[in-house]
Amino acid sequence: MLLVENLHAGYGASEVLAGVSLQVKQGSVVALIGANGAGKTTTMRSISGMLKPSQGRVLLDGQPVQGYTAARIARLGLAHAPEGRKVFGPLSVEDNLLLGAYGRLPAFFGFRSQAAQDLARIYELFPRLRERSQQAAGTLSGGEQQMLAIGRALMAKPKVMLLDEPSMGLAPVIVQEVFRIITRLKEAGITLLLVEQFARSALEVADYVYVMEHGKIAVEGLPSEMHKNQRVLQAYLG
Amino acid sequence: MSALMWKRFLLIRGAELATFATLAAIPLFVSSSYALGLLTLLAIYGILLIGLDVSVGYLGQVNLGQAAFLGLGAYAAGLSVSLLGWGLPAALVASALTGLIIGALLALPALRLEGPQFALATLSFGALTVTVLNEWEGLTGGAQGLQLDRPPLLGIRLDAPAFYWLCMLFLALVWMLMRNLLSSHWGRSFEALRDSPIATDAMGVGTYRHKVAAFAIGSALGSFAGGLYAFNFQYLQPHSFVYELMVILLLGVVLGGRKSLWGAFVGAALIVLLPNLLSNRMLFQVFSALGLLMAVLAGVRGLLNKTTRPFQALAPIVAMGSLVVGGLLVANTEDWRKAIFALMLFSVVVGLPEGLMGFVTPLLSRLLRMAPPALPAPAALDEVLATRQVHGELLLELRNLKRYFGGVKAVDDVSMCVCAGHIHGLIGPNGSGKSTAVNVISGLYAPSGGAMLLHGKALPQGSLYRAARAGIARTFQNLQLFGELSALDNVMVALKGVYRMPLPLLLLGFARREEKRAQAEALALLQLVGLTQQARARARDLTYGAQRFLEIARALACKPELLILDEPAAGLAQPDVAQLIEIIRRIHQRGITIILIEHHMDVVSELCNVVTVLDGGKIIAQGSAAEVKRHPQVIAAYLGVAPAEAEHAQP
Amino acid sequence: MASTVIIQLIVSGALMGLVYALIAYGFQLTYSTSKSINFGQGELVMLSAFFSLTLIDAGLPYWLVVPGGLLFGALLGLFVERAAVRLALEQKGEGWILLTVIFGLLGFSAAENIWGRDDRPFPTPISAEPLHFFGIAVTPLEISVAIGVLAIMGLVELFKRKTLLGKAFEAVAADRDAAELMGVSATRIIMLSYALSGLVAAMAGILVAPITTVGPTMASALILKAFSVAVVAGLDSGFGVVVVGLLLGALESLASFYIGSGWREAPGLILLIMALALRPNGVFGKASIRKV
Repeated sequence: MLLVENLHAGYGASEVLAGVSLQVKQGSVVALIGANGAGKTTTMRSISGMLKPSQGRVLLDGQPVQGYTAARIARLGLAHAPEGRKVFGPLSVEDNLLLGAYGRLPAFFGFRSQAAQDLARIYELFPRLRERSQQAAGTLSGGEQQMLAIGRALMAKPKVMLLDEPSMGLAPVIVQEVFRIITRLKEAGITLLLVEQFARSALEVADYVYVMEHGKIAVEGLPSEMHKNQRVLQAYLG
Repeated sequence: MSALMWKRFLLIRGAELATFATLAAIPLFVSSSYALGLLTLLAIYGILLIGLDVSVGYLGQVNLGQAAFLGLGAYAAGLSVSLLGWGLPAALVASALTGLIIGALLALPALRLEGPQFALATLSFGALTVTVLNEWEGLTGGAQGLQLDRPPLLGIRLDAPAFYWLCMLFLALVWMLMRNLLSSHWGRSFEALRDSPIATDAMGVGTYRHKVAAFAIGSALGSFAGGLYAFNFQYLQPHSFVYELMVILLLGVVLGGRKSLWGAFVGAALIVLLPNLLSNRMLFQVFSALGLLMAVLAGVRGLLNKTTRPFQALAPIVAMGSLVVGGLLVANTEDWRKAIFALMLFSVVVGLPEGLMGFVTPLLSRLLRMAPPALPAPAALDEVLATRQVHGELLLELRNLKRYFGGVKAVDDVSMCVCAGHIHGLIGPNGSGKSTAVNVISGLYAPSGGAMLLHGKALPQGSLYRAARAGIARTFQNLQLFGELSALDNVMVALKGVYRMPLPLLLLGFARREEKRAQAEALALLQLVGLTQQARARARDLTYGAQRFLEIARALACKPELLILDEPAAGLAQPDVAQLIEIIRRIHQRGITIILIEHHMDVVSELCNVVTVLDGGKIIAQGSAAEVKRHPQVIAAYLGVAPAEAEHAQP
Repeated sequence: MASTVIIQLIVSGALMGLVYALIAYGFQLTYSTSKSINFGQGELVMLSAFFSLTLIDAGLPYWLVVPGGLLFGALLGLFVERAAVRLALEQKGEGWILLTVIFGLLGFSAAENIWGRDDRPFPTPISAEPLHFFGIAVTPLEISVAIGVLAIMGLVELFKRKTLLGKAFEAVAADRDAAELMGVSATRIIMLSYALSGLVAAMAGILVAPITTVGPTMASALILKAFSVAVVAGLDSGFGVVVVGLLLGALESLASFYIGSGWREAPGLILLIMALALRPNGVFGKASIRKV
């Protein structure tokens, strides 16, 4: 579903990604782990078009999308729930969710009725969001904002979803909740690329794992193989 | 001084001397009063534009109020003479003071503004000034205008050549004084302010007083030029100082080239010549054709080198092209004066943003093989950063510190102590509140609750500047360098305890030794972080690793007691990380206490005496690096297990 | 009857103040999406009024002139965005300030030469005969201004709040990157905001033209006051502009009566400088958090 080949990217003069290749098969959950500064977030940003890759290819459902604007890639079916959540603070929770489906809803009228069913589904998944649907997103707690960011990405009914550090800055109880949700997404058959600092937990939900070091994929394989890999064990799994 | 240095000195000063000597000699050979009038105006506008360049070039703000200051100065001088009967020197002093005081008053509110708001404030000030000049008829004569006589100077009646010499003398004087000011720490601070006000504050260089000073000085020059303007024309009308003049003045600065005395001079010459250019159709056609040619050449070159975007290359060609076509179609170019200014200014802003001098200067220095000025030998590090005697006493204490953003509790009730002479590690997962904590300590954010004590006394809250003055220096996770300044200048901006020369003496050029001393000290700090070779390189052209080290050197220039390093190793390659550890060690040996936020556990383990672990805005563990590494909650939060499993793992 | 005079002054001043509010609203539209405003907005008001006058001269009926003028304003807005704003925004600089000033000057000069320097009357089917309510004289023309201003602001607000495209406006304002990730093209939204801003400016021009007459300088005073209103109310607050606009209009009408007609401009400018000094984010604006 998502295929990345030899991706190079960076900020200004410094190159952060030095040839990243990975793939995410339909319906699978792929985890991308690695030390801070290894280039995980940069990889996500280059895939979704927030950052223009200087070299390499990104294929979404077989179609090359590298070099497109983020908006165009999003409309082609890639939803990116970015690091730091980035919900639209002044807008209501419901408006945030509706905007998640911007690409497939009519721009002027009738979008509410068309989105009603999807909204209901999201609210079912995140009952807290239903309670707060008319509240400004900026007033939510960190955990609720993360639910909203995930819900907003789901509203797009994406072919592939990128989830960047969903547990960042959250209290331990909430982190567990986040992982439960990821498990449910997996059960629902969502194609997911996950960046996570809780490597061990990420390994538990993932079907396949890539480990990044210094802007490259250093190790890849099934989660079970990771547990046997001395290098990975030492560096990331304590 | 070496031969190369002499060559540089002679060429630069020689060019200035030759220009002014030629200008001074002109009245001896040219008797046309018209030409002399234009040259007098050149001197006046030269002074005005040097002033405008301070805010537009150095501060990087769009200032739409300079025409008003010209008017205020002109009326101040005019009224001093016609109403109070003052002499010429007193009237000129009055005009300069008017600008200085009103400029400072306007800057006081305006210093809180940036970009569009600043432009709006100055625009409104300009409009308000014209309204007042127009309506206060009892004083200014309103739209009728104000007639005045040029008083004698020291009993000598000033005829046209004498007045011209006087104006030129003032231009030369202003040139010299401003060169001294702008090449001193003042000028550097102005520029630093433009690139990163946050870092300027954090280095203990007051954004406040520098911005006010810069604007007041620029305004004073504007109104001083106004005084000369009044005595040149001897008749004033509010209508002369409106918006249109302001746009022309901006054209002068931008076209001449920002941050350049020569640029102001060239710009002034252009402004003076423009009306003549427009009144002669033939001349205008030649000029616009030249402009088109330049636009095409520059555009094609830019496109071939891929340094410009297509819009940047094409838009000036279209604009200059329409000038050429318009010149052929329109009978009276005077009528289209404003449109012509607009198109020219547009082409320059888009196509030649550096201005003429910005374009010519590097060309000339390459052509003449000018060497940059030599640097002194680095000072001894002991003289720059004296070793502090520390015995692990309590330095910084945080009590129940809180900082909330909306519903997010970024720092939630954190209490910790930092001991003098320690390297205190602060670790935790992304978003755990480490950066927010140091942002509160260093004064970027005011705390939502709790107390911070330095040496048992309350630390200033919510002010980077005052925290810096209290002895806290920091680096930034997302670099906040002064990108356009050289590495050396970056350090020199922050340097504390060197600049002692009072302003008047500095203006007269007595700060050279101090400047050499500052260079030597800054070089010593660059040497400490291994950047001596890159001293002259522009900060934004440095490699990423070098930029990180430069930030450390700059923070050290504040000669701090407590140094906060916010993820200094983020994004560094392995050899750089090794060098970083070595640098931090050396800083530590000088008795500087360090708070180190870091993700690389190896760096933390190797350096830190004490480590505090944050998660979700709260402290979850504290102790030596080895201790916290064994702590189950830390393993859970930091090393990669979600909390549920960690609890199982707990013995 | 001093009180009647005062009320009369306040009412007619406040009606004029609505026009300032409308122009200020145009600044807010672009500022919210792109953090930039068109410093040549006054020339957009003036050019659209001239264009509409030309349509009237060509014999078009009034109900065709208005949409024609609005369309012209929207096109000018698009032109300004392309020529003066986009490059500067891409470079993350503030070059747009100078560039929009430049285009204002260009528009002014073009109007001077195309339509002449003289003020010309703007015919309108709406009567200027005053009606009297409790001793206060109000002309239908003034009422039409009030209705027009409130109607177009209401429509645009409705668009922003009730349509998904409108919500995309607010999304871009809140977080441009995140909006892009939702498939919202920020570049298009900014273009659209400039078009809307131009349209609003044209509306202001058409509404005010019958009262002020049409000439190259017709908007130079208007625009300064609109700046004041926008800054005092805050460049990101919706209906604050109406309140401040009404207030400023009333204030200056009082000032011009009691101090002298030339001082008409003073309250706005003083208010502006004071507001900038005391509350740089505007009375109704929100404080922003500094980030590093």
